[in-house]
Amino acid sequence: MSLYDLAAMPDPGKSLLDLLKDTCDRLELEYAAYAGVNPIDNSMHAIVNYPDAWKDHYQRHALHQSDPTLIHSQRSQAPVHWDRLTDDPLYDKMFSRAHDFGIPDTGITIPVRGAFGDKGMLSVTRKMCIGGWHKHLLHILPRLQTEAALIHDAVMQKGAVMRAISAPSLSVREIEILQWSAAGKTQYDIADILSISARTVEVHMRSARHKLGALTTAQAVARAVGMGMIYPM
Amino acid sequence: MILVIDAINRQFHSKLLEDMFRLRARVFADRLGWDVHVERGMEIDEFDALDPVYLIGLDETDTVVSCVRLLQTTGPHMLSDVFSDILQGQAPLRAPTLWESTRFCVDTERLGLTDRGPGSVARATSELMSATLDYARRCGITDIITVIDPVMNRVLKRSDNAPYDYVGNTVQMGKTKAMAALLDCTPERIERVRAFAGIDYDVLVDEPALLQRIAQSAGMPVDPSDALAQYFIDQFDKAQDADELEATLALADAVLGKAKPVQSVPVANSVSAPEV
Repeated sequence: MSLYDLAAMPDPGKSLLDLLKDTCDRLELEYAAYAGVNPIDNSMHAIVNYPDAWKDHYQRHALHQSDPTLIHSQRSQAPVHWDRLTDDPLYDKMFSRAHDFGIPDTGITIPVRGAFGDKGMLSVTRKMCIGGWHKHLLHILPRLQTEAALIHDAVMQKGAVMRAISAPSLSVREIEILQWSAAGKTQYDIADILSISARTVEVHMRSARHKLGALTTAQAVARAVGMGMIYPM
Repeated sequence: MILVIDAINRQFHSKLLEDMFRLRARVFADRLGWDVHVERGMEIDEFDALDPVYLIGLDETDTVVSCVRLLQTTGPHMLSDVFSDILQGQAPLRAPTLWESTRFCVDTERLGLTDRGPGSVARATSELMSATLDYARRCGITDIITVIDPVMNRVLKRSDNAPYDYVGNTVQMGKTKAMAALLDCTPERIERVRAFAGIDYDVLVDEPALLQRIAQSAGMPVDPSDALAQYFIDQFDKAQDADELEATLALADAVLGKAKPVQSVPVANSVSAPEV
C-alpha cells in the first residue's frame, strides 16, 4: 500500500480554528466546539471558537468533566439535540453558567465515528428561538454532518501514525467516477456513461470526497490527481 | 408504533432491547440460518457495543414486533468489517451522510400475513421503513445502505420502496443470500412508503406515555435522575464488547423488571417459514 500525505497536498493550509470559523460562516452558526480522542496515541483534542472569557472559565473549572453535551454525546452515533438533555441535573448547572457568558443552549452535538475507533464530536450553537433553531437545523444538518466529519479527520490527521494508516482506500467505482469528473463530465453524463443512476454517482462521489478529505468535487479530483489515483486530462 | 432508542434513552428500555435481541435471534439464527452468535436466546454482536441507534416496532400491547439498527459508515460497520464478501474486495462506501441499516426484521409469527391493515407484517414493515428513512433524514442523512436478503428485497420492491441501486454482489449467507441496497431518505420516498401502506398518522410512539405504562407494569416510578438509572447508564457506558453489553442488559432486566409478574412467557421456538 502506498503512503499518502494529505497535509502535503496542495491546500490553503488552514488552521483548525479557521475550519471551525468557516463552518460557522457557511452554516450560519454562532459557535462551534470540537472534541475528539485519537485511540492510536490516546491523545485528546479540543478546539473551540467560544469567547475567551468562557474558554478560560471552562478550563479553570475543568467543566469538560461535567459537560452534559460531551458526556451524553460520546456514547451516541446519532446527533444529540441539547433539549433532550434537560433532565440531567448537570444541564442547568452548565447552561446557567454558560448563559452568563452569552453562550446559548440552543445547540446540537454531532458525533463522528472513524474507521479506527477514533471518536469526535462537533457541537454547534446559535442564539435563536427553539422553533427557528430546529427549522434551521433541518436545513443545514446534511452539510453539518459532512463538515463535522471533515473537521474530525483534519484533527486526527495531525497525528503521524494516524496519517500513515489512514491512506484513502477508494473502490474501483469511486476512482472511475473521479476520472470521468476529471474529464469534465457532469454527474448526469457519468450516470449515462456507466449506466447507473445519477443518485448512485452522487453517493459514490460523496464517499470519495469524504475519503479524500475534500469538501468539493473539484478538490477531490485535484487530490486524486496529486496522489496518482487518476490521470490529469 | 415505532420507538427510537439511542444513547440518551436506552437505559429506560433495557427490557425492550432484550426482547429485540431475542427477536433477532429467532429471525437471523433460527429462520435465516445466518452465522450469528446467540446467547441466552439473544443475538448480540460487536456492533451493538458501538452505541448504534435502534428503531423498534411495538404492537398495541407494547410487544416488540420489528427492529432495525443504524450505524455510521465512517466508523466500523457491517459492510466494512463483516459482509466484505458482498463488496468483492472493494473498499466500502464511507460518507458522513450515509448510514448503514442492518438486522432489519419483523416478527412474522406474531403478525398477520394476509392483509395490509394494522397488525399485519406489511403494515409493521412499512411503519418501520418509513420511520427509519424519516428519522435518518431528520439527522441530516441523505442515503441508507442496507444489508438485506432477497426476501426483504422483494418486500421493499412490493411496498413501493424499491432500492435505487445495489452495491457489490449477492452472496450466499447461511440458508439464504445477502445483498447491499441503496435507499434515498427523500420526503418523496417516505411519502410513497406511507401512502402504499395507508399510514396517515405519526408512527413514532409517545415515549413519555410508554414509560408510564412500563413503570406501572413494573410498579416502579420513572425518574431520570434516579440513582439506579444512573448506575445502568454508567454500566452501558463501560460496556466494551457484546458480552459486557449482554451482562448489563441481563442485570438491568433482573433489577428493573423484578416487580413484573411472570406473564412474559418466553416465545416458543416454533419457527415457521416466512410467507412474505
